[in-house]
Amino acid sequence: MEQYLPVLTLGILGVLFVLLSIIASRLLAPERSTIAKRSAYECGITDQAAIPERFPVKFYLVAMLFIMFDIEIVFLYPWAVANDELGLFGLVAMTIFAGIFFLSFVYELAKGGLNWGPGRRIQTPATSPERTTASTIKKVGLEGRLNLATTTDESEAA
Amino acid sequence: MTGDPLYLDGVDLTDLGIMLIKVLVAFTFLLVATMFMVWFERKLISDMQNRIGPNVAGPWGLLQTFADGVKFFFKEDLRPENADPLIFRLAPYISAVTAFLSFAVVPIGGSFGGGDSGTVTIFGRETFLQVADPPIGILLLLAMSSIAVYGVMLAGWASGSKYPLIGSVRASAQAISYEAALGMATVVVVVLAGTLSTHGIVAAQSGGITRWFLISSGIVPFVVFLIAATAELNRPPFDLVEAEQELVGGFHTEYSSIRFALFFLAEFMNVITMSAIMVTLFFGGPAGPILFGMTWFWPTVWFLLKVLAFLFVFVWFRATLPRLRYDQLMHLGWKLLIPLILFWLMFISLKELRAAYDWNWLVTYGSAILALAVGTALLLAALRAGDRVYREELEDA
Repeated sequence: MEQYLPVLTLGILGVLFVLLSIIASRLLAPERSTIAKRSAYECGITDQAAIPERFPVKFYLVAMLFIMFDIEIVFLYPWAVANDELGLFGLVAMTIFAGIFFLSFVYELAKGGLNWGPGRRIQTPATSPERTTASTIKKVGLEGRLNLATTTDESEAA
Repeated sequence: MTGDPLYLDGVDLTDLGIMLIKVLVAFTFLLVATMFMVWFERKLISDMQNRIGPNVAGPWGLLQTFADGVKFFFKEDLRPENADPLIFRLAPYISAVTAFLSFAVVPIGGSFGGGDSGTVTIFGRETFLQVADPPIGILLLLAMSSIAVYGVMLAGWASGSKYPLIGSVRASAQAISYEAALGMATVVVVVLAGTLSTHGIVAAQSGGITRWFLISSGIVPFVVFLIAATAELNRPPFDLVEAEQELVGGFHTEYSSIRFALFFLAEFMNVITMSAIMVTLFFGGPAGPILFGMTWFWPTVWFLLKVLAFLFVFVWFRATLPRLRYDQLMHLGWKLLIPLILFWLMFISLKELRAAYDWNWLVTYGSAILALAVGTALLLAALRAGDRVYREELEDA
């Protein structure tokens, strides 16, 4: 286990470096917090839309497929080290093992599990005559602004 | 018994002192190298874009990164109200510490081959010119690059803000997709070297350029590794994690002050480490001609030059290639790189065994070609079926 001693030392040094940097910054940096600084970033307007709680299921499919491949890689390493000694037996065993993984991978591909293309066709051309600034530009960000007199637009009032 | 000879006969105070010196040198080297890497990247990109780049702080703007770093200390540390206080603080630690640790296994010098086993003598003790040589060196590296994903993931999740969250989900999906290809490209090298220790891998490549695994593994694993490493580092053209047009700053949007600087530092340290790993795995590590005297000096020079070449390549990628779309990224990783490297791995191990056991070449390569044909046919059929599913979904939408 002595071989891991420098790794441990480097790790401790790394943690100390991060810790000391953060402490130094806390001592040196100003603290002038405002409501705007404490709110989540939203390109300068007041945060309106909620944080997404649900994600496309494809991300989970990728995660599951990755676990499968990771397990395969975990078994590949010991075999790779002993490849010469195991000879034909090891190669055949590993080919069968990798083959089964490959088949399930191919099955997921065939089922469309790894399709990441756009989810729907673009319906109207971008230069459609129906599209005007009134139909495409949404006025956002005036609601909820602190201490700001919001000027009401004529078209909005109508 | 393998490993650094320094610790083989028990550990006394001199050993501990040498270890401490090595750790401190590596630590300082990483920090200084990161500083210059940032400068190098900015200067090179400027040159490629016909600009001057940083030129005020220090000669040729060399101290620009240092000035930026100092400035970060004096900036206000902001934390969104709905951020998770503990994990928001924890994430920079994970990113920075794993970045430091992955460099530990890289051999940065030592003469190999011709009776030399890559040791140098410091204070009368023999040791390797690398921080640590654990028997599972390359696994430690992969483990660290996997844990680094947690830094990104947790940073995005704990920010309590939508851009970091989306950025971090993308980042984890991207990192795990390419990690499979990265891992398998490394297995090819392990098959050739027959060991997981980085020192052993370098030693197996000693004795001329033809012995480098770049050539004896048939270049394909290197190309796959380079692409996967670029994706793993979130470097352009795979920097979807921080696609400014869509995600503001990606997972570190809500980070400011020194915490942001730590993520930045970790990112650039990882670029340096990955370049060093590529040199170790495929380019013979510190291998190169010893020109005159000082046998311990030249290998380190060659190593640094090779790393510099890769750093240049990463900057070059950034200046040249446009960012991929997310579906293109996933398709490249899953549908091309993984099947390719899986076949190549089996092929290389078959080739090695044929050489070792003197099998009939017709039977050996015939079965390899047969397997390739069956695999390709299966893959193409699956891709076509997947496309059909996609088109049906489009019509339904």
